[in-house]
Amino acid sequence: MGLIQRVIEEAGIATIGISIVREYAEQVRPPRTVFLKWPFGHPVGEPYNKAQQVTVVTESLRVLYEIETAGTIVDLPFAWRRHKYDTDDK
Amino acid sequence: MQFSRLKNQLLARLATRFPALAKKFTDSYTPRANSGDIPWVRPAVPLPQAKLALVTTAGIHHPEQQPFDMNDPNGDPSYRAVDGNRLFADFTITHDYYDHSDADKDPNIILPLDRMQEMVGEKKLGSLAATHYSFMGHIVGPHIDTLTHCTAVEVARKLLQDEVDIVLLTPG
Repeated sequence: MGLIQRVIEEAGIATIGISIVREYAEQVRPPRTVFLKWPFGHPVGEPYNKAQQVTVVTESLRVLYEIETAGTIVDLPFAWRRHKYDTDDK
Repeated sequence: MQFSRLKNQLLARLATRFPALAKKFTDSYTPRANSGDIPWVRPAVPLPQAKLALVTTAGIHHPEQQPFDMNDPNGDPSYRAVDGNRLFADFTITHDYYDHSDADKDPNIILPLDRMQEMVGEKKLGSLAATHYSFMGHIVGPHIDTLTHCTAVEVARKLLQDEVDIVLLTPG
């Protein structure tokens, strides 16, 4: 995924990638990454958990605009199935 | 179905259910490392004015599109352009290297189209592209060059033609 991300950024479009395997992002070095230590097949969360999904996409886009250094990986602080998501402020 | 496909599907299911096994699974795949400069551009416009497209390597596509080739051990570097307005009404996922049973129930967990559409409605995001792009992950060997020199370049060109400002990428 990171290789595709690099090609799109190279073409002139700003990108953010969600990673669930930090080592991949460290080796491929895409422009911007948010990392979640979550299971395969669940980069945006669990099925039907809208508050969780909203949090992930909102944080990803926030990071897209805030990162100032190419190659930055931001570790999002959401533990799998242990974090409580606030539905009111999203 | 070939034995190798069944084996991959079983391993993917185990790696999803038992995170300790996932490490072994990820160690078996080595992405191409990059050194030197990292491509970098700033978002062209603020988020409330930006046009966003999604790109995933989770293998989702329309049922009438050709499935990704799961018999090639080097993966399939091709892509499928998907119509975001009708994809979730009828979709399929071709990918043996992760357990997509949860994504089959709610594809927003691999391609958050509904969440993006809601952000547009709330005026937090400018607009959502009509077309998004789906690849299959786990591409190795000679197909890496096809991906980085041909198919990904083609997708980038189409995104530019569609005047997309920002892209969110999701794995499988």
